[in-house]
Amino acid sequence: MNVVHVDELDRIEMPDGFVWRPVRRRFDIRAFGVNAYTPREAGAQVVEEHTEKTLGHEEIYLVLRGRARFTLDDDVHELGQGQLVHVRDPAVRRGAVALDADTVVLAVGGKPGEAYEISAWEAMFAAVPAMQQERWDEAIAIHEAALEERPDHPALLYNLACMEARAGRPLDALLHLQRAVELEPSWAEHAQRDSDFASIRDEPGFPAA
Amino acid sequence: MSGYTILSLDELEPVPHRDSNLLAVRDALGFRAAGINAWRADAGGQLIPPHEEVSGNEELYVVVRGRATFTVGEETADATAGTLVFVPPRVMRTAHAEEAGTIVLAIGGTVGQPFVAHGWDTYAVADALRRSGRLEEGRAVLRRAMADSTGFWALPYNAACWEALAGNADAAFAHLHSALELNERDVREYMEHDGDLDSLRGDPRWQELLE
Repeated sequence: MNVVHVDELDRIEMPDGFVWRPVRRRFDIRAFGVNAYTPREAGAQVVEEHTEKTLGHEEIYLVLRGRARFTLDDDVHELGQGQLVHVRDPAVRRGAVALDADTVVLAVGGKPGEAYEISAWEAMFAAVPAMQQERWDEAIAIHEAALEERPDHPALLYNLACMEARAGRPLDALLHLQRAVELEPSWAEHAQRDSDFASIRDEPGFPAA
Repeated sequence: MSGYTILSLDELEPVPHRDSNLLAVRDALGFRAAGINAWRADAGGQLIPPHEEVSGNEELYVVVRGRATFTVGEETADATAGTLVFVPPRVMRTAHAEEAGTIVLAIGGTVGQPFVAHGWDTYAVADALRRSGRLEEGRAVLRRAMADSTGFWALPYNAACWEALAGNADAAFAHLHSALELNERDVREYMEHDGDLDSLRGDPRWQELLE
């Protein structure tokens, strides 16, 4: 049986204090988005502050354990176990801080009217531990796997190029950066200032701003 | 209207459905991205009605509170609060509560297809209201569901049954007509044996509908 306790899920600590506990990836669910989040400690972020404007997702956040203080635009709500917030409008800025150290928030989401597509941020989050420890081959492999499903995702291509540049693979980095910039021309300027590309910026073919 | 809604699972009135008690989360929220509902039972009670997802839905069950025993195919598992159980389509699954007040959340959807709310959960809410004598409230729920629905035949079909039982033949025939347009094969089969519709059988419109 495909069964796991939330405490047994991978722990991927993100820079701003929340810990991503990947549920969808664990079971390879492809029909909807679902993940759990825990805090690094009581008082820390448990749901990252964000909107869903880019993806257009409608989301539900359910407090599975403990308590969390949610901020929804200018409103603040303290939710306990068994309480949820349904954020219908993707433009609502939402985030939550854990009030108990063992708080768990389950997030479920997708874009109404469209078949679910795995969000690219999952691969980027999944690669964070490898990137922090400069295990570039592992981080690259996570991105390559995500690109097999979303070959023209500009952010995945850009990130992949960053890691390839760091890993000493200038040719791969240039090719992927060129493709990312083809898809998102405004990123050429960003690439000019991105320290990840210090080793390849003078190479022929590096996108001009 | 603000862009969000806050809800406690404890606020939802349990709705009897197939020997279980449904907490109709999706219907209460109008969630459009996936199917999402919860089930509540006391020790020994059935949480998830035994079923396969013939529609092709992938489903994730989450024990929100209490403790449950899941049976999926031939396997069983003890599931405390915080346990997640994933079940692919077309596998028989059920769950029973091991503690009072156990709640299991169920999330579902079909791979590669946008989520469509067929409205079985809304119908369960309406039917529970009807059974407890709150006919007008139930009728209002069905009307709302039919207005929102993307074409689940059972909503107009059951509305027809209600109206037939209440002696409103005109309304009953109008709903039957809608139901037949949505799924002629299943509706004809149900119409043949459904005692709720007996008051309509002698009406000339009955034969007209079936021709």
